[in-house]
Amino acid sequence: MTLASRTLGERLAGFFRHKAAVAGAVVLFVFVALALLAPVLPIASPEAMDYMPYQPPSKEHWMGTDNFGRDVFARVVWGARLALQVAIVSAGLSTLLGVILGSLAGYYGGWLDSFLSRTFDIFLLIPTFFLVILVVALFGSGIYLIMIAIAVSTWPRSARIVRAEVLSVKSRAFVQATLAAGANHLQALVNHVIPNSLAPAITNATILMGLAILTEAGLSFLGLGDPNSVSWGRMIFDAQRQLRLAPWLAIFPGMAMFLLVAALNFIGDGVTGALTPAGAGRGRRVPGLPGFGGERSSRQGGTQEASPADGAQVLEEGGDAAPRTMLEIEDLRVYYRLEKDWLRAVDGVTLRVPKGGSLGIVGESGSGKSTMGLALMGILPTNARVVSGRVTFDGKEIVAPGKSDYTGIRWTRLSMVFQSAMNALNPVMTVGRQLSDAYRLYKPRASESEVKGRIEELFDLVGIPISRIDSYPHELSGGMRQRVMIVFALLLGPDLVIADEPTTALDVLVQDQILAEIDELRRIMNLSLILVSHDIATVAETCDRIAVMYAGQIVEQGPTKDVLERPRHPYTSAMISALPTLTGPRRTLEALPGEPFAAIGETVGCRFAPRCRFATDLCRTTAPTESVGPGGRSSLCHYPEAVEEASLTARVPA
Amino acid sequence: MRLPQYTLFRLLQLIPLVLVVIVINFVLIQLAPGDVAITLAGEDADPQYMEHIRRQYGLDSPVPVQLLRYLGQVIRGDLGASFRSREPVLHELMSRIPATLLLVVTSLIIAVFVGTWLGTLAARRPGSFFDIAANTVSIALYSVPLFWLGLMLILVFGVKLGWLPISGMRKIAGPREGIGYYLDVLKHMVLPVLTLSVAYMGQYVRLARSSVESVMNEDYITTVRAVGFPKRIIFMRYALRNALLPVVTVFGLQIGLALTGAVLTETVFTWPGLGRLVYEGILARDTPLIMGSYILMSVCVAIASLLTDLCYALLDPRVKL
Repeated sequence: MTLASRTLGERLAGFFRHKAAVAGAVVLFVFVALALLAPVLPIASPEAMDYMPYQPPSKEHWMGTDNFGRDVFARVVWGARLALQVAIVSAGLSTLLGVILGSLAGYYGGWLDSFLSRTFDIFLLIPTFFLVILVVALFGSGIYLIMIAIAVSTWPRSARIVRAEVLSVKSRAFVQATLAAGANHLQALVNHVIPNSLAPAITNATILMGLAILTEAGLSFLGLGDPNSVSWGRMIFDAQRQLRLAPWLAIFPGMAMFLLVAALNFIGDGVTGALTPAGAGRGRRVPGLPGFGGERSSRQGGTQEASPADGAQVLEEGGDAAPRTMLEIEDLRVYYRLEKDWLRAVDGVTLRVPKGGSLGIVGESGSGKSTMGLALMGILPTNARVVSGRVTFDGKEIVAPGKSDYTGIRWTRLSMVFQSAMNALNPVMTVGRQLSDAYRLYKPRASESEVKGRIEELFDLVGIPISRIDSYPHELSGGMRQRVMIVFALLLGPDLVIADEPTTALDVLVQDQILAEIDELRRIMNLSLILVSHDIATVAETCDRIAVMYAGQIVEQGPTKDVLERPRHPYTSAMISALPTLTGPRRTLEALPGEPFAAIGETVGCRFAPRCRFATDLCRTTAPTESVGPGGRSSLCHYPEAVEEASLTARVPA
Repeated sequence: MRLPQYTLFRLLQLIPLVLVVIVINFVLIQLAPGDVAITLAGEDADPQYMEHIRRQYGLDSPVPVQLLRYLGQVIRGDLGASFRSREPVLHELMSRIPATLLLVVTSLIIAVFVGTWLGTLAARRPGSFFDIAANTVSIALYSVPLFWLGLMLILVFGVKLGWLPISGMRKIAGPREGIGYYLDVLKHMVLPVLTLSVAYMGQYVRLARSSVESVMNEDYITTVRAVGFPKRIIFMRYALRNALLPVVTVFGLQIGLALTGAVLTETVFTWPGLGRLVYEGILARDTPLIMGSYILMSVCVAIASLLTDLCYALLDPRVKL
């Protein structure tokens, strides 16, 4: 499958979606133009009863004439004036009220928030259309009263939206900075919080505009509209008595209304779609991918990166007879499709895990390590593609471009422990039910007692009280949930477990316990382990070998001890020096400046160069090839010796 | 809290709600220009008769006294007599409820099932042509003016094709019982139900679509995919239940607010329902009827929201009553 291939349906869909909002804008523009120009357009006066009544549509009267001999087209055009007026005034007023009250509630919080929020909720429960009917019926049907009544019945919606947005904006750094610089709360609210919270309220306003038009028309249709104005709703109200005789009287005003309201709603939908970030939504995402901003600059000029085939990262085992290989990854490339380009999340990774061995994969978020985990499990998101390379499990090819064959391997021999155990378990099912479902999937004839026995055995092994079997995930602590995930992975006695950040989001003590448990289980059950983590310390405790991943590539790998003590890549060295030590001298943490690199499109030079303090012109123009050092160590750097040297000198206590 | 206690607690919360509704409506009606007595007695009634009417309906007492008197009545379960028909309001309301329930509940059920089904289908292939088409059509659906759609259906199926009856709930001289009666009502229902369900459906398509999509992106779906469950089972057993929670919420709210949609449809099709009755009551300034129907509506909304919460608690173990 070529990279550029998109199914016809997908292309058509993207095109169509874009088109709908554009078409909406065009229709809206036409209506606004007609409404503004109505008095000067060469059309009949909407009130003039100059013509023969009940003429069907013709060349002279595009939409026919009504029972009083008025030109329907002229009346529809003038009706647009009223509809837009109602839309703008009602939605504007409603949004204004919503912004004021919503931002007060969101910004000041406390009793004001609870009082206002409660008010919004009550209003949302009131059948507002009846309230509007009552108000208009009692106080007369002036158009201004109608507009105010519509605004009053819809503002809580805008208020709720603004409140939620203000809540998130007010905690952001720039607002806090303004306050710290001495601005008072009102200034901060008006100058910084509200302007940054408006986007969703404005989107909502386009939808409110449609709603206002429909509500006014509904009132007019009930005979409650302003009798002195030319309203589409009123035209339909009058027309229903002549539906048989002159159907065009009802058809055209309704069409106009439908077009205008649909245009507004499509614009609203399009804007919402445009506000949603590219990676999110539409059923696809890029795990752990940071914002793409800024990283593209490194693509300019210079020679192209050497093909990774030249520098295949082959792991040399020591001279002895190597143990059986459990999992082998060869030149694996996994790309995500973005709007225009491809994000190369995994870009030429070659790794090997021997039977009973443990390999740690370290990298910051966005390095591609999680994607690699998903690729190894054959559960990539729909917009990701294995472009080249292959994965073999115990000699059997399981992943290759366009291929994913886990028969007899999935979960029975290869399983996975997921991160963030809160969401990795289904919240509406008991953990016991989820575990036994998984067990039965592979052993459909297992008896009730066999399933229960197996779960209890594993609960016992990882230290979960048996009574927890009927608990829901939310009833367990974070550590317990993580243990359940481990039980999940061990359920069918696998040979290799991939653990993706198994201890992230747990507190430190529990982290250590879980890591110790994983280590022990590995020994007891003779498991092979791939531990994926952003934390080099986590990996160091548990794994024989470390592979450091950056921007989709393995930049360094080797035995844990060697890598930690003598890193041969500046990225590894920066990660190690970011670790606080208990025993060593106090150092300031060396934070790594800059953002992680996302390989989009063609890249030039070393991917780490923009953040590397050793970078030279060579690094910026030419991608490094892999250098293999002693003890099966490899590094993807032009100057591995210099880095090793520098890291040794840095260790000397001051 | 246990279920019965919780239910009782929620039902007790109805009292302040109904009080607020009564007071707001009372105040609105009092503030409105015009005199109820004139409505009752007619424009040119002689002063003596007007006095009589005032005394008979208690309109001569100060407003707070009227309000208290009314509250006393409501506590005894008496909503007063309609100004227009002189019938007890409660009786009038009750006699109209079945027709509206028939119309609204049928439409809602169709809208929820068809809408959720379409939205779910769309979410299974995000970005596909079907997905975009479903999204586009559902936006178009809730942009249609309800009453206009009703008129167009009347025009096509009633006037031009002559297939279906276009007004009322049954033929005036038609059968009054047995299978013939039900068939007759069914025929009369087709167009109003079509109108209402189309109007309700759009939002269920979109709601189900976005809800299913977000659930399919959840970590626990990744887990079961990794374990190797077949797609169909993942969807039916693990995703659907979670994805339907928001649909339940909206359904509950909408049952409470159903009268809003009913008033326009009932007007177009001259359906003898509650929405139409309330609307006529408002036009006629039939104060007891207006008050009674607003009380009824707020109680409906509150009970629907209680039922929604109970359903939610049943479906989602994280929810504590």
